Amino acid sequence: MNAIRVKLKNNMFLTLVITTYIVLGILMPSKAIQSLNNSLYYIKEMLIIMPVILILTSLIEAWVPKKSIEKALGEDSGFKGSVFSFLLGSFSAGPIYAAFPVCKMLLKKGASVSNIVVMLSTWAVIKIPMLVNEAKFLGPKFMAIRWVLTTISIFIMAYITSRLVKKEDIQMDDILTNEEELMLNINEQYCIGCGLCTKISSETFVMENKKAKIIIEISKLEENENIKTAIDKCPAKAIGYKK
Amino acid sequence: MDIFTIILWIITGTWFIWSIIKDKKRTLNSIKMSGGMMKNMIGEIIGILFLIGLILTFIPPDTIKRYMGQSNTLISTIVSAFIGSITLIPAFVAFPLVGSLVNAGANIVPVVAFLTTLTMVGIVTFPLEKREFGLRFTTARNSLSFIFAIIIALLMGAVM
Repeated sequence: MNAIRVKLKNNMFLTLVITTYIVLGILMPSKAIQSLNNSLYYIKEMLIIMPVILILTSLIEAWVPKKSIEKALGEDSGFKGSVFSFLLGSFSAGPIYAAFPVCKMLLKKGASVSNIVVMLSTWAVIKIPMLVNEAKFLGPKFMAIRWVLTTISIFIMAYITSRLVKKEDIQMDDILTNEEELMLNINEQYCIGCGLCTKISSETFVMENKKAKIIIEISKLEENENIKTAIDKCPAKAIGYKK
Repeated sequence: MDIFTIILWIITGTWFIWSIIKDKKRTLNSIKMSGGMMKNMIGEIIGILFLIGLILTFIPPDTIKRYMGQSNTLISTIVSAFIGSITLIPAFVAFPLVGSLVNAGANIVPVVAFLTTLTMVGIVTFPLEKREFGLRFTTARNSLSFIFAIIIALLMGAVM
């Protein structure tokens, strides 16, 4: 029962929408069916795009070094970086929410706030198939002028946003860091020297000058049952992982 | 599937196969990690998509068209920009819709405001964006986009 409640709480928005559908289904069944049919197109679009976004985000995490992203899209990438973000956004595919995980990963890897705004906005607004469509229905002149004005606006917006929002304002904790990069660590200030961890996992911890010490460097990937228990049981909560 | 989605699939697929061959453990480990991030988003995305269906039922394209064609340009521009912000209509529906309106002689200022906010401002995707980039970033980006959409519309009206 409790588990269900937690699930509902975590998905409050989805629950709210589903409830609306149920109420609508009782009161106006035809409207509910119409809404479901409307949503179908978007669901299909999501199923086509999200798996590839998931893989792409993972591959960026695994293979693109932080240094190269910092250089290409970071604070000091200048005008070149903005143009690069603009091109990346223009040649992307999918709706704006597909851009969120990719941009977040790039941000974590060192891209600047202004470049992320450029990429998010171009990803949403400027797409080649859309431009073709616009020229067809509203004329090439209409399309070209709107494109120029939008492009200029995006660069100005990126500049203003980077003045208003600092990178520290954006939470990064929810992206788990690669487990290889997280190292087992003891906070010496918290450690009360009880020696419990050395008893639970003597192959990892040792006492030195009344403080616990880690014998060999251990990453999160190599965590074993004994280490887990030691982290749990430590009365001062001094053991954890750190980058 | 449009050509860009297909290209994205091909590039990512090739990279993925290379990655698996080069280092299987590292690849799977990263996928597990990104999967964790996506798992948090997916419930919200599905909610948003069903919400869009609801919005389209109650604010159908024909109603939108009526608002955009109103005689008072200022009011219709702001209303159109606002409608564009809350809806997410695919391009192949939006362009013919406003195209017919412009061909019938409607003022283009509200039309441009609608087209621009449609893609650049996302009120329904706001919670999702906020979760990923924080309140400050999301508010700044969306409100700036709204303001610039109106500026673009007014400039378009003056130029064309």
